[in-house]
Amino acid sequence: MSVSNLLENWAEFRHTHPVDDVPHDPYKWAMSIDLDACSGCNACSIACYAENNIPVVGKDKFEHGQVMHWMRIERYWPEDGREFPDQGATFLPMMCQQCEAAPCETVCPVGATNHTADGLNSQIYNRCVGSRYCSANCPFKVRYFNWYDYPTTENVWPAEMTQQLNPDITLRGKGVMEKCTFCVQRIRAGERAVKNEGRILRDGEVQTACQQVCPTGAITFGNLVDPESKVHQKWKAQQVELTADEQEKDKEEGGTDLRGYRILEELRPYPSVMYMERVRESAI
Amino acid sequence: MIDNNFDRRDFLKVLGWGGAAVALSGCGNTSVEDGKETVVSYVEAAEYVAPGISVYFNSTCAQCDAGCSISGRVREGRVLKLEGNPDSVINRGKMCGLGQAGVQHHYNPDRVREPLLRSGDRGEAITWDKAYALIAEKLNGVSGDQIDFLTGTVSGHTKALLGNYLESLGSKNHFVYEAVSPAVQRAANMKSYGMEMPRFNINKAKVVLSFGADFLGAWVSPVHFSQQYAEFRKGVDGQRGVLVQVESKMTLTGANADRWLVVRPGTEGILAMGVINALGVAGLSLSADVAAAVKPYDKERVSKDTGVSTESLVKLAALLKDRTPSLVLLGSAAEGYAHGSQNAAAINLLNQVLGNVGKTLEASAAVPFPQIAPTIGNTAALRMVNNRLADGQIKVLFTYGTNPVFTAPSEMKFKENLGKANFRVAFAHYLDETALQADLVLPLDSALEDWGTLVAEYQPEGVQISVQQPLMEKLHPETRGMGEILLSLVKQRQPESYKAFDDYYAYLRTAMLKNKSEFANSAMDDDVFWNGVLSAGIINVGGNLNKLSSKLSTNIQLPAPAEQDAKYPFTLIPSVTANLRDGRHANQPWLQESPDPLTTIVWDSWVEIHPKKAAELGIVEGDIIAIESKNGTINAQAYLFPGIHPDAVSIPLGRGHEAMGRYAKGYGVNPFQILDRVFDGETGELAMHETKVKLSKVGKRVIVVKDEGFAGGAQHGKKIAMTKSSDQVDLSEEV
Ligand code: SF4
Ligand code: SF4
Ligand code: SF4
Repeated sequence: MSVSNLLENWAEFRHTHPVDDVPHDPYKWAMSIDLDACSGCNACSIACYAENNIPVVGKDKFEHGQVMHWMRIERYWPEDGREFPDQGATFLPMMCQQCEAAPCETVCPVGATNHTADGLNSQIYNRCVGSRYCSANCPFKVRYFNWYDYPTTENVWPAEMTQQLNPDITLRGKGVMEKCTFCVQRIRAGERAVKNEGRILRDGEVQTACQQVCPTGAITFGNLVDPESKVHQKWKAQQVELTADEQEKDKEEGGTDLRGYRILEELRPYPSVMYMERVRESAI
Repeated sequence: MIDNNFDRRDFLKVLGWGGAAVALSGCGNTSVEDGKETVVSYVEAAEYVAPGISVYFNSTCAQCDAGCSISGRVREGRVLKLEGNPDSVINRGKMCGLGQAGVQHHYNPDRVREPLLRSGDRGEAITWDKAYALIAEKLNGVSGDQIDFLTGTVSGHTKALLGNYLESLGSKNHFVYEAVSPAVQRAANMKSYGMEMPRFNINKAKVVLSFGADFLGAWVSPVHFSQQYAEFRKGVDGQRGVLVQVESKMTLTGANADRWLVVRPGTEGILAMGVINALGVAGLSLSADVAAAVKPYDKERVSKDTGVSTESLVKLAALLKDRTPSLVLLGSAAEGYAHGSQNAAAINLLNQVLGNVGKTLEASAAVPFPQIAPTIGNTAALRMVNNRLADGQIKVLFTYGTNPVFTAPSEMKFKENLGKANFRVAFAHYLDETALQADLVLPLDSALEDWGTLVAEYQPEGVQISVQQPLMEKLHPETRGMGEILLSLVKQRQPESYKAFDDYYAYLRTAMLKNKSEFANSAMDDDVFWNGVLSAGIINVGGNLNKLSSKLSTNIQLPAPAEQDAKYPFTLIPSVTANLRDGRHANQPWLQESPDPLTTIVWDSWVEIHPKKAAELGIVEGDIIAIESKNGTINAQAYLFPGIHPDAVSIPLGRGHEAMGRYAKGYGVNPFQILDRVFDGETGELAMHETKVKLSKVGKRVIVVKDEGFAGGAQHGKKIAMTKSSDQVDLSEEV
């Protein structure tokens, strides 16, 4: 994709999703994460390793920033300069936001990362040439690059540990980029299963691994265009619009008492993950 | 009928239902005993196993003692992933990270694969026949009181068989040791509430005041409490529950508090008394003796002693008075002192004064079958075994589910004393520090290969017996299940009583069928019943409720806050993290690479120092610090941590292995080693927070390997992780 081509057709690239003339049908996968429920326990992150064949890189590679955790829990301290963080920390589960106008997609020279009709940002491993432009352009820094051939690296999956690997997912070799997929293998398996019944997936029939394990139920996942789905209802109640780069409620004088927001929305990646603000008691 | 000469009572005991508080059906022979049916483990590929299709089998997580039920995804005969079983009242379909890593315990490359007999400092592989013969030989002529079992918490039919085996040896010496255990609290609860472990209803409380109970991390039944916590945050009628956490080092739970109150180490009890006093001042009516007991704890004194401001104290009392019911919890941070029992008593008194007993703190059900009820560990057990070893009273020592060489403070000289026993047998998954000292190592099946039953101490609803069944064939042909080994051992002693059982599976099945009338309809077909048990993975029995009492005891002796030791000016807080606990799972790489939630550090230990104190001492992140107590020195990288009292430093437990396997050995340091030998005055439990240390820089600096970026947890004005104040939101409108 040449730069001139890119520039000429910029609007089109930027505008593939979301649009009214090409509505999501029948699926648009999305999430809602409640930061007031999330305890920062990291169970979701480990479940993601278990589900998605993520390599454990070890201490040295971790030091070089080569950790592969598709789901990471960011920990923030209050910045009020007080001696103690006496309202605790804030934990933020961070993974690919499955942007509708994904900054990572437009820069891929070979189109290895692109959008699916059901609103996922997909990564085609065997097309990826490892330029890492996508990672550089991702505002959320949730793309992870295979600097090594982990399947053959010592002590990553020694002997019997290979038996734990999920056969629904490939092992990624050296030189390819990877990231959270919204557990696409679970979505596809679910779709196939209900296809025989001639229907589409109902809310709750597919859970992502992180959602399924989360002991506080902080993560809601589902089909945003299904009015019956929890995720649809949450987005609606929080008045967060997928296609907006600034929510109407935020334009109101004095702000809003709704907790829903999207991170770095103003950059116009149109993320598919809505977060709900943490709450702290005012009476104590 | 059964043709041998033991009577019905004995038969029930053999099967683990001895002394049952509920009726058991009359004797009957099972088809297995009659030889009409053979036992075929269903893990042999059945017809319905289709390649490419996953099937799920229910079992029980054995990574900790909470007893969460799991559902293992099995494909082509191998287990891939564990999910929570939605039908369990303990974990309702959820799990923790430690539990997820159970598959890495199972597939671990460093498991022991065959029985090993010491020959010099090497282990020589031997057969099971030889191992059993050797045990019989070594026990020959040894009197029962010279035979000890040192185990971790045990329950279910493993415990029943273990008990029967010990009895057959004429030994009463079963010591149950947990290095990290709320044992002080159990004793205090027994006094205050008439039971060691009542039910805590976090979800019904409007305010939770927790004195260091890390119920979202590593305390008692974290998955269960995390779910309660989520409900508590949503609140009743849109009134969101408020969490106040009191501790000297921030735990994961503390990091989620609406107000985190840092206290001077050891003054938790004083603060509790101060809150009662302040409640009285705020107008809560106190009985005369309570009022008298808390009289000395006026807010100025309490503030001076604890470091909590009078303003916070008054606000806290107002909140507690205003929003009822509340719930007061206590954890290791309050228990770990020489006056731990007194701290606990003061904290329980606060719960009673607030009227929470019977509301947010309720009676738990008693396990009606004493033989399978859990026997819970404590640290006093280690002390007893250690003394017995030192005095030469133990000839043969068996260890199971515990790694005392790693977890005993080095001053106890446990490793040295271990040498005084004639014969040491370790039941082990790994060659850990304790197994390395053994004469005979017996390799265990993983929890995902084994049969069993497990009864958790914390029972949220009735009593749940969790069933463990193999999720796949054994990986290593020469490992054995604990139940299987115990059955073989007890058969050596009492062949007649156990001859009906070819293997542990047959034993377990017979035991369950024996009690069918209690669990289901006695008219139900045996196979239907048994298959039902296996497919559910859970048996729920009602269990009578323990009797909840609320005895106010105002006889509480709290010492004045400890003066700073000039030579050792810091209190060492050995912290218990959700993933690594006492270190038994440190060889599971997911746990090593999963960042510590608070510091985001991986694969190593660290010492937490308050930034202000660090500045005073000229310490920056990554400086290698020698942490010296009276009993030794360990070196760890410094991490500047705002959530800690400036007079305390904290090092996490669980790392610092010298053995165990490739992912554990050589990573980090072991703070157990340098603990001072101070015990709680009442219970004799090791006072984990009583160690005083001094710090010095060794002149080396490393890059701390951690997940947080250079911003170190700052957002720099970007709207990333956002917070609203509770008066700005209306949760009742939310879906
Ligand atoms: S979060 Fe990053 S990787 Fe994911 S779609 Fe958006 S830009 Fe791409
Ligand atoms: S599992 Fe749930 S509570 Fe734990 S860190 Fe992940 S989102 Fe938060
Ligand atoms: S809390 Fe314990 S029993 Fe439950 S999933 Fe975690 S490790 Fe397993």
